[in-house]
Amino acid sequence: MHTAWTQKHKPQTLSEIIGNKDAKQKFLTWLKSWNRGIPKKRAAFLYGPPGVGKTVTVEALAKELKMELVEKNASDYRTTEAIKRFAGLASQYATLSGGKRLILLDEVDGISGKADRGGVRALTEILKTTRSPVALTANDAYNPRFSTIRKYCLLIEFKKPTIREIVSHLKKISAREGIAADQEALKFIAERAGRDVRSAVNDLQVLAQGKKRLVYDDVVWYAGRDRKEVIFNVLRTILYSRDSWEAKKAVSAADVDPDMLFNWIYENAPYHLTDPHDLVKAMDSLALADIYRKRIRATQNWSLLRYVIDFMTSGVAVARQRTKSSGWIPFRFPEKIRFLSSTRGERALQSAIGMKVRRRCHMSAVRSVKEVLPYLKIIFENNSEMAAGLSKWLDLDENMIEYLAGNKKQTKMIVAKIG
Amino acid sequence: MSYEMWAEKYRPKSLNQIINQKEIVERLNSFVKARNVPHCIFAGPPGTGKTTAALCLARDLYGTAYREHLMELNASDERGIKMVRENVKTFARTRSIGEISFKILILDEADNMTSDAQQALRRTMERFTETCRFIMIANYSGKIIEPLQSRCAPFRFSYMSQKDQNSYLQRIIKKENIKILDEGLDAIFEVSGGDLRKATNTIQAAASMGKEIDAKTVYSVIGRANPADINEMIKTAMKGDFLGARKKLREMILKYGVAGSDIVKQIHTEIFRSMLPDSWKVTLSEAIGEIDFRLVQGADEEVQLSALLARLTEAGHDLKRGA
Repeated sequence: MHTAWTQKHKPQTLSEIIGNKDAKQKFLTWLKSWNRGIPKKRAAFLYGPPGVGKTVTVEALAKELKMELVEKNASDYRTTEAIKRFAGLASQYATLSGGKRLILLDEVDGISGKADRGGVRALTEILKTTRSPVALTANDAYNPRFSTIRKYCLLIEFKKPTIREIVSHLKKISAREGIAADQEALKFIAERAGRDVRSAVNDLQVLAQGKKRLVYDDVVWYAGRDRKEVIFNVLRTILYSRDSWEAKKAVSAADVDPDMLFNWIYENAPYHLTDPHDLVKAMDSLALADIYRKRIRATQNWSLLRYVIDFMTSGVAVARQRTKSSGWIPFRFPEKIRFLSSTRGERALQSAIGMKVRRRCHMSAVRSVKEVLPYLKIIFENNSEMAAGLSKWLDLDENMIEYLAGNKKQTKMIVAKIG
Repeated sequence: MSYEMWAEKYRPKSLNQIINQKEIVERLNSFVKARNVPHCIFAGPPGTGKTTAALCLARDLYGTAYREHLMELNASDERGIKMVRENVKTFARTRSIGEISFKILILDEADNMTSDAQQALRRTMERFTETCRFIMIANYSGKIIEPLQSRCAPFRFSYMSQKDQNSYLQRIIKKENIKILDEGLDAIFEVSGGDLRKATNTIQAAASMGKEIDAKTVYSVIGRANPADINEMIKTAMKGDFLGARKKLREMILKYGVAGSDIVKQIHTEIFRSMLPDSWKVTLSEAIGEIDFRLVQGADEEVQLSALLARLTEAGHDLKRGA
């Protein structure tokens, strides 16, 4: 049995929690202020997207300040009755043993619906009168149903940590698990998880558990949590709805990375729009979207993104005019991404050889790869003596020689002749 | 046993060894005689002796210790403005010791410099003229900004004639003891088109196979060295197989590093050679021109070129139906 890494590697102290420095500090200051008496706001409302460390912050801090943590979650406040049941806790100053208490009402988004109107009122009452600090967490503090609750709370916003922060967190976990993980691979996981730390750690476990080494190729296949289904739905709408508005809407609803989605559409459109005239319209539209992507990169003006979206969704959707539908065609993973990741190592080796050629041949590494490497390959495959001479002259290592020679036997012959 | 790339081993060491580009060599020789060199642009297709001429000029000018007075930078590898700020300036501003007061900076593949870097170079070139002369090497002088062009003496290099190429190769053939048939030499010229580096690399790879070089050997070398066949891709698209054509395109760009601009150029040439009705050629030419322009602006090569392939697929389809 394996334990979940999100539990096993849960941060134990405030400093182990990545990101959100200001939010953590604000919460700490507020909690410490209870030592000087009951503060004006008796509750702190920690809000922000899932998996950014709201709950874990409360838990770690309770541990550090040696407070007893009383955790309540969605199931505990389904009804007014249930809430009143734990109201008593909050009316006491301290625990039986004299220690301090921190009450955590986790995921209060769970309070919902008509049945809970009384629930919100009961909760508000607790927040007004509590004698122990109360921490609430939710994804969206600005939901109208929290409008009264908000008044009695110190609002603390949690944001998504940066990719870099998440990567360093994942790196630490990998190290503890005895896995040598490539930066690139971890970065991919962090990005794919949409900077949700919890799901990034879960993904890491799925992909890396039991491995000694984790490289980019191991992770690139992984489309991430439910992402594939989301992308497939969007694709279906874009390629089959013929409706520009539907196609646009599908994208904003899906919350997928536009660049990633572009690759999916670009890959799949030709399989589904087989009539040459439709195809031209679709590909032209994608080419236009690409122009705007380029303009965004050049100007950093992200408001242009709406045109990228227009061209790659609506533009492709209205292209379908003459293509007859011909049954079910499966969606394909973007070949470009697969190609780039599967040839990554080869390309790195090529450019390393290119650098060696550059030193000798008065030309750039880039051109060396294009113009000299193919000839070197022919020579290395056919003539071990000439290859040995060239290896010396260019100062190639055995890895490079093997790449050029194409097989181990020839490599051995060449290396033997270098002496 | 000692082997080098023959393209380096047999690279001329002095201007007088350069067998073609007579007018250019003459003028460069006059610079050597006068002990003075202006800023220069050497423009022309690959393998026509631009870098060689620049190196020979420096060697003839400074003698065997020419390395001390020379810096070679390659803009393809370091194309940004940082390169100008750091490398170029440090080198350019210090005075050369010796009889000649200036140094030479060769800026190879200069057409790959960003325009910002070129702008920065403009001031550097002016400020340090006393201590440093620039030789900018480019395939297309058009990609060098006007202000730089106007500060430089332009030299246009052109492809070798078959006669010149053969006389250069004969020297290698003799020294390296190669057996080659006349048809082999003809084939080499046919595939190299007067690009001497390509010709030399081809003959070395062919010689490595260890038998007499005939036309077939040459073609097999070229086939192995240039597996990306643009013509084949165009045909595939025109036949109606867009997906097949896109796959070839992808390999060309990602695997073999063929430049998008070269692909556009060849598609353009092929369209005008094709059987398409004239009015279509003009329509397609408009699309090709647009894509060419977008690539210059830095759009994604594969995405843009696939839009072009879709056009070709459409054209092939309409042609078949006699539309």
